[in-house]
Amino acid sequence: MKKVLIANRGEIAVRVIRACREMNLSTVAVYSEADRAALHVRAADEACAIGPSPARDSYLRIDAIIDAARRSGADAVHPGYGFLAENEDFAAAVRDAGLTFIGPSAEVVALMGSKTAARAAAARAGVPVVPGTGEPLPDRISDPDLARIARSIGYPLLVKAVAGGGGKGMRTVTEPAALLGAVRGARSEASASFGDSAVYLERRLTRPRHVEVQLLGDHHGTVVPFVERECSIQRRHQKVVEETPSLAVTPGIRAAMTTAAAAVARSVGYANAGTIEFLLDEDGQFYFLEMNTRLQVEHPITEMVTGVDLVRWQIRIARGERIDLDPARLLAPSGHAIECRIYAEDPDNGFLPSPGRIVQLRTPSGPGVRDDSGAAAGLEVPIFYDPLISKLIVWAEDRPSAIQRLKRALGEYVVTGIKTTVPFFTWLLNQEDFLTGRFHTTYLDEVLRSRNGQPFSASSADVEEVAAVAAVLQTLLAGANNGSASPSGRQTATADAVSRRWKAQARVEGLR
Amino acid sequence: MQYDVEVNGQIRRVSIRRADARFVVGVDDMEWIVDAVRVDGHTLSMLIGTTSYDVSIAPDPASGRMMVSIGPVMLSASVNGRRRFGRREDAGAGADGPQQLKAPMPGKVVRVLVKPGEQVRARQPLVVIEAMKMENELRAVGDGMVAEINVAEGQSVDAGALVAVVRAVTATPAPES
Repeated sequence: MKKVLIANRGEIAVRVIRACREMNLSTVAVYSEADRAALHVRAADEACAIGPSPARDSYLRIDAIIDAARRSGADAVHPGYGFLAENEDFAAAVRDAGLTFIGPSAEVVALMGSKTAARAAAARAGVPVVPGTGEPLPDRISDPDLARIARSIGYPLLVKAVAGGGGKGMRTVTEPAALLGAVRGARSEASASFGDSAVYLERRLTRPRHVEVQLLGDHHGTVVPFVERECSIQRRHQKVVEETPSLAVTPGIRAAMTTAAAAVARSVGYANAGTIEFLLDEDGQFYFLEMNTRLQVEHPITEMVTGVDLVRWQIRIARGERIDLDPARLLAPSGHAIECRIYAEDPDNGFLPSPGRIVQLRTPSGPGVRDDSGAAAGLEVPIFYDPLISKLIVWAEDRPSAIQRLKRALGEYVVTGIKTTVPFFTWLLNQEDFLTGRFHTTYLDEVLRSRNGQPFSASSADVEEVAAVAAVLQTLLAGANNGSASPSGRQTATADAVSRRWKAQARVEGLR
Repeated sequence: MQYDVEVNGQIRRVSIRRADARFVVGVDDMEWIVDAVRVDGHTLSMLIGTTSYDVSIAPDPASGRMMVSIGPVMLSASVNGRRRFGRREDAGAGADGPQQLKAPMPGKVVRVLVKPGEQVRARQPLVVIEAMKMENELRAVGDGMVAEINVAEGQSVDAGALVAVVRAVTATPAPES
């Protein structure tokens, strides 16, 4: 393997390019019309245009991406996450073109992509699944049959799309009267979103947590699980904050859950990085939810507490190497890590998307801080794709220190031109329930509903006065004197004067 | 010099004069000594007394105002009421003047739900704009009649673009003769 094409954009494309560069692999970016100036294009060694801005005309076009790989002479393809990452036709097309797919086989992608088939695989591996229908509901199921099946599962229940994800094609049903409408609604949404109207029923657990297990498998039969990730902080079924380890997971639960995750992966011959998602009940019972056959958005928090570079391992595994990591180390986290997904959304306006030109961007840094970003000042956040612009990840010795560090890091963010979810995270980190770890998958939606749209960053008279002064000074200084900073002309000091001062300083330092 | 500055809907009178390398700034009835350095086109470092404020300022294309960020707080500001005048026109329109509905963000028009001449009720969705895989409805502020629709389905719009104009029926009779 010498040259890797990254079939993705944004922060994850940049992340993969970084791993490749550290392994002396050349990189090929692909880009749509909207992304010509994007960071991933500038960071890569080569870049190929693959079509117009809408994803279906570019990042979802298997033929255009395979063609870009051929043109550039790439010998491997990394799919990132989203777009084609869990598309079995893409994995097969890459293989058929004689290229290495940095991910699992097309067959495993297909198997685990069907929620009902994945549930069956988990059950065969002896892992508990949430009680529900083992098969998709028949297309022409009679109303009485449907009611009977629902009664046997019990209310409240969920109607879920077999091909689903991200909460699409999903309905909660709390009473029998709402069942038929929910099934109809879920079918039509699933058909529109995934081109597959199949749905199934599953019991809805009360106040479960979403806890998941990262794992790596190689082509020699080794599967190693990692310490769990806690991903219960979700807005409308989308994770927004993830952390590891989970406060709710005892050593006993961890041992059982990671063993179960590895068993599922082994049973399907899984190779590469993958994640098994579980629901964890209030009484410590866990249930298989689904498997993601790709790198996860939140993979960096696992890297922070284990010291393992997951993307590097994806590439090593794809090259046929054996996993030689010490399994005990992967289950014994060092410290605590938390990630915030920074979205181009206006939290004070119902989390409305806020695309546009980023005027200014200053990202946090310093001890224990990692900023995985696909954004840059001067760039337009396009309207065509997911609004995730950056991931802020912190590591510290324990959870309270990690929260303090995260607050500090959020405070260092300067983003102007677009709105971001930074003020929302700053608010969340001060909530008692978050600090004590008392939350579940619907916690955030409930607390947001109860806030009724109050702004996340309250201003005060003091700060408004400072803003008024700043607005006047900006008008005055921008208009009047060519960027001269102050009445003394401090900023217009000539290059000579600056250079003289540097030299004088150098002499002072030399005397020490 | 005197300025009227509107921040978050409240107007403050700011006077400013240079004194040596600093500014003497009066805000309403208080006076501060401010040391201000323009770091780049959008960043001001201000020392008020010894308190350090790192301020970022960017234009907001949707409103034409300044977005001023100080720490976690982002405020909308305009100096000398130039923008305020425009705003007042818009705001007053909610009652009986024309409502000018502008795109709150750049996006693609996915649906136009009404035609010029059509009667609409307050909060009725008029146009659906899609950005980042999410559909957002642009709704009428008050009851009225659609006077203009300036977009077509499939068209891209910029933030602040005038999408539709709705006139209150009582104030402006239907133009059809």
